[in-house]
Amino acid sequence: MDLYSENDKQVIKIYNSLKQVIDPELDVNIIDLGLVYSVKFNEETGIVITMTLSSKGCPMGDIIMKNMEDVLTEDFPESKNTIDLVWEPKWTSDFISPKGKKELGR
Amino acid sequence: MLNANKNTNSSSTIVITHFLTSAIIFFLITVLLSLSSQAFIGHYFQPKILAITHLTTLGWVTLIIFGALYQLIPVIAGKELYSVKFSLITFICFVTGTLLLAFSFWYFIVGFLLQLAAILLFVGASLFVINIFLTIQKSMNDNIETDFILSAVYWLWLTVFIGMLLAFNLTHAFLPKDHLHYLKIHAHVGILGWLLLLIIGVSSKLIPMFLLSGKLDTKKMSFAYYFLHAGLVGFLVDSFFFNGISRVLIYLLLVIIGIAFYIAYLVQAYKKRVRKKLDIGLKHSFISFIFIAIPLTLIVLLNSNIIQDPKLSLQISIAFGFSVFFGFITLLILGQTFKTLPFIAWHKKYEKFSGKIKTPLPKDLYSEKLAYWQLIVFTIGYMTTITGILLSKVFIIQAGSCILVCAAIIYNINVFKVVLHKPQALNIK
Repeated sequence: MDLYSENDKQVIKIYNSLKQVIDPELDVNIIDLGLVYSVKFNEETGIVITMTLSSKGCPMGDIIMKNMEDVLTEDFPESKNTIDLVWEPKWTSDFISPKGKKELGR
Repeated sequence: MLNANKNTNSSSTIVITHFLTSAIIFFLITVLLSLSSQAFIGHYFQPKILAITHLTTLGWVTLIIFGALYQLIPVIAGKELYSVKFSLITFICFVTGTLLLAFSFWYFIVGFLLQLAAILLFVGASLFVINIFLTIQKSMNDNIETDFILSAVYWLWLTVFIGMLLAFNLTHAFLPKDHLHYLKIHAHVGILGWLLLLIIGVSSKLIPMFLLSGKLDTKKMSFAYYFLHAGLVGFLVDSFFFNGISRVLIYLLLVIIGIAFYIAYLVQAYKKRVRKKLDIGLKHSFISFIFIAIPLTLIVLLNSNIIQDPKLSLQISIAFGFSVFFGFITLLILGQTFKTLPFIAWHKKYEKFSGKIKTPLPKDLYSEKLAYWQLIVFTIGYMTTITGILLSKVFIIQAGSCILVCAAIIYNINVFKVVLHKPQALNIK
């Protein structure tokens, strides 16, 4: 029996795809940094990503978001994508994955 | 914020121009320093020291700060810079004014040329204040960093205004008290009001961001803000209307308490950091924060009547100025350049190569090895020069300043490496 629906599989693919996008200052991908809060997918709405940045003044914010759009457009050309930038909950270092922390030298 | 960043990118050429020009001026300063070592023994009010001091404060420190602010203010404020054209006029006025001023002081031509330089600087500073004020005013972001920066910008205006009065006073002598009295006020307002407040404001935003420090207690920064202002305003009012220079220790104490709160904030950021490994830019910064202890010790010594020898007192005065501008501010800038300039240049050069295209990282645009050598060579040069100043030994000052020339060359090579970086030369898949 397949545990995952087709949509779930697509969401996993999107997460993996977004791992290609790195924060140029930290050299760690945005998934391991915990910047992506949620990824939703269905046929009608397409890909909807809720994400944040490590700080409101992050000068690389626009580059990161542009990279996300480019990656999604290339890997999922049939789906439209929407990226919602949110500031709540506020990002903290607790959101970084163990792998991300290791890469940052913790 | 996304819009603000895009617009900030459009002004990156002017930002890079500021960084490049100030790097060249920094090299010029170290060369002039090595050519005028003798001037660092004796009274500080003399042509070569005045020329080097103004070249340092305006052409090196202020110019690079202007460049950095044009990039940072829109990020902090969440709004685009009010006017790129204003920033260009400010740049022209400042560079021309600074070079004319330094030339006038070096040859001590105190007439029209000096006054013209002062007017150009005043016009440039006024336009800068208007530009920053109108940018921040448009912002809804109300935070302590913005308060620091905005206050610093007003203090800059006052510093340049007093400087302009002094330039005219040298030939017309219209100020009621003696020239050195106002020179001290001019210097203190410039160092504390403009440079220190600005550095504190900018670094309190950038350092936690670079270290990934998470949530910090900003009350410490608010205390720092009020203590520093109490010291500065108290000193200024007392100096202008009474004879406050004799009560300077009280104001100095208030300023030191303010700095202590700021240092406590940085320590908190350091302890809470996720990024354990400090890169070379941050190593420069943290060493410069440790070096704050040197000018603070010197100024306490100067004002506490411990030093009875007037000759030594003069040397300590010069060493104080040197330790503020070189030991603290220059070292901080040398490091922060490689935390900011590569990002600005990278943003400009690689924005179009985004997505899946493999690009180098901003840190790949400069040589980390050279930056390490810069730190070592600069620290040796600084320590040697300040030792020479305190011991009144010309040959030690000469040796130290020659080492500083080497540090400036290393810095310039790295800055030009970043600016001249060509994306097409890289292996972009």
